[in-house]
Amino acid sequence: MKKFNQVVTILLLLILFIVFAQAEEPLAVVVNKANPVDELSRSELIDLFMGKYVAFPNDVKAIPVELNGDHKIKIDFYRYLVGMPLSRVNAYWSRLRFTGRKRAAVFKSNENDLIAFIIANELAIGYVPQSLITEDLKVVYILNE
Amino acid sequence: MNKSGLVIRLAVVIAFTAIIVGLITTQLFYRFTFLNEEALGKQSINQLYNTVSPTASIASYLGDEELAKEVVNGLTSNDIITSAAIKTDKLMVLSDTYQQSSDTIEFVLYSPFQKERRVGLLYVEANESYLRAKADNISATNTFVVAIEALIITIISILVTYSVITRPILSIGKALHSIRPGTSERINKPRSHQESEIGQLADDVNDLLAKAEQQMLKEKNLRGEVKILESRFRMLFENATSAIALVEPKGDILLYNDNFEKLIEKLKLPLKKNYGHYLQDLFVVKKELHEQIQIAFANNESATAELELISYQDESIWVQVVVTLLITDDLQESYQITLHDISKRKYQISLLDQKANYDGLTNLLNRQAAEQHLNKLIINGQPFALIMMDLNDFKPINDVFGHDAGDELLIHVSSQLLKSLRKADVLSRWGGDEFVIILPSTTKDDVINICAKLASKLSKPHHLSQYDKSVSVTASMGVSFYPDDQMELLELIRAADKAMYYVKKEQSINNKLYLAFTSDVDNLEHDSKL
Repeated sequence: MKKFNQVVTILLLLILFIVFAQAEEPLAVVVNKANPVDELSRSELIDLFMGKYVAFPNDVKAIPVELNGDHKIKIDFYRYLVGMPLSRVNAYWSRLRFTGRKRAAVFKSNENDLIAFIIANELAIGYVPQSLITEDLKVVYILNE
Repeated sequence: MNKSGLVIRLAVVIAFTAIIVGLITTQLFYRFTFLNEEALGKQSINQLYNTVSPTASIASYLGDEELAKEVVNGLTSNDIITSAAIKTDKLMVLSDTYQQSSDTIEFVLYSPFQKERRVGLLYVEANESYLRAKADNISATNTFVVAIEALIITIISILVTYSVITRPILSIGKALHSIRPGTSERINKPRSHQESEIGQLADDVNDLLAKAEQQMLKEKNLRGEVKILESRFRMLFENATSAIALVEPKGDILLYNDNFEKLIEKLKLPLKKNYGHYLQDLFVVKKELHEQIQIAFANNESATAELELISYQDESIWVQVVVTLLITDDLQESYQITLHDISKRKYQISLLDQKANYDGLTNLLNRQAAEQHLNKLIINGQPFALIMMDLNDFKPINDVFGHDAGDELLIHVSSQLLKSLRKADVLSRWGGDEFVIILPSTTKDDVINICAKLASKLSKPHHLSQYDKSVSVTASMGVSFYPDDQMELLELIRAADKAMYYVKKEQSINNKLYLAFTSDVDNLEHDSKL
């Protein structure tokens, strides 16, 4: 009887984990299909999004595409990428603004606009939930896999 | 003030100790302060680093020179930091005075987004001179405080020691210095030390003084007694009628009294330190004294002897010598020698002897002494001739002129007879007008010669001044020889007597006859009997 209870408890926990994992859906970093870059390292990704570099590793200019405001995907993206809440990322950018550094990013209000911009622009790079990936996008990195 | 006095010594020791301790303390404190300040400095630098590290990380990560400058300037504006620098692979931002050295503190800067990714280095140089100055400042204050403290402790220690210990002890010492032991003087106990060790010291000193006084009093009394005793003994010794000397076994004189000195003066001898064993050099005969001493000492008695002293005077001095062995407490032997002057007694004895053996009138040996002399000769077996002499016609003179005249005549006769005798011959008055003459080792011819002389001397008249009258006597002499005539003294005398009577008898016939020999008379008698 006792043993049975333990087995039930473990099974229940497994179910709960799967449900949760499905809730936190992996994010895919995508580029235009025509972009010669096939894959990026995590560091290269961070450098692009945190403003260290404004070009792909092959020295072709890059245009990071961001979502506006406190979008859920944006929050998840930064959490997965640098392990920081969005507020701190924003504070980082605010501080840089005082030194006269400008962010070379394009801001979109939703996922669909973002995807559309990437499909239309060869230099663009952005992040979308894995479920939204289409044939027109090239995944160069997957976060929270 | 005394250079080695207690106060000065104490002051020097305390001051010296205070300085040494102060120096060590200051040095240690300085070291401690400096290290402490250094640690504090490091801590401050770490805190500063913590403050600037996010910005520095961002600056390094992005290679942003402006941001890096901001960080470096911010750091160098602190007192404890001299210079700072940020280095990345692309960027190098230095403060004006930056110079890499071993003291430079290095911090690794990581990417703000990837904690494991190094993006640059932050160099900070601590301001050592600032830290040192700060430590110096703190230490100087401390040193000053310690010095003041040491000074205060020194002064207070000296004052307290002086007033509590040194001054009371000095006062006791001073008092003791002026005290004469043996008197009733005592030292005063310091007022503030009635119960302390110093008070105890004063009490002990007073006890000691009391004991000393008692002791000295006792000794003084004892000395007085000894002095009295000594003077009595001295009186005894000095006033003793006899000469007394204390002599060592080797003969050295230890002590002598006045009478001894006088005796030596009397003997006209120099006063010497040594007169030989038992003063033997003073005596004419030494042997007897030695014998007496050996016998007496063997029996634990005093030795006594009557001895004649050496003297350069006519008068001989006789002393009774008493030698007593004295053994002192430390087992040293010495002799007490007493010399009693017995000269007077000796003289009296000799006078008695004279009286007993000599005839008072003529000073010739009396009959008794003559008999003794004869006995002695016979015992010794010495041959001699005995002349028995009787004066003729003496009785009438005695009767006519009286005894005094008779006595005078007898003295005259004695002196006349002595003139004709040899030195060894003895003339004695046998009694009344009888004389005996002893001629040792003499032949008959010699006797005849001597008798002839005697007769001729006698025949010379004697002038009796009192009566203005000359008288003369003749004598009859009988001679016997020892041992030829008789061996026995009485027989010998009788024989001589007989020969003498024979002469007296024959004189009426032959007035020239004055001498007859026993042997001749015996022959005559023998012949007549025949």
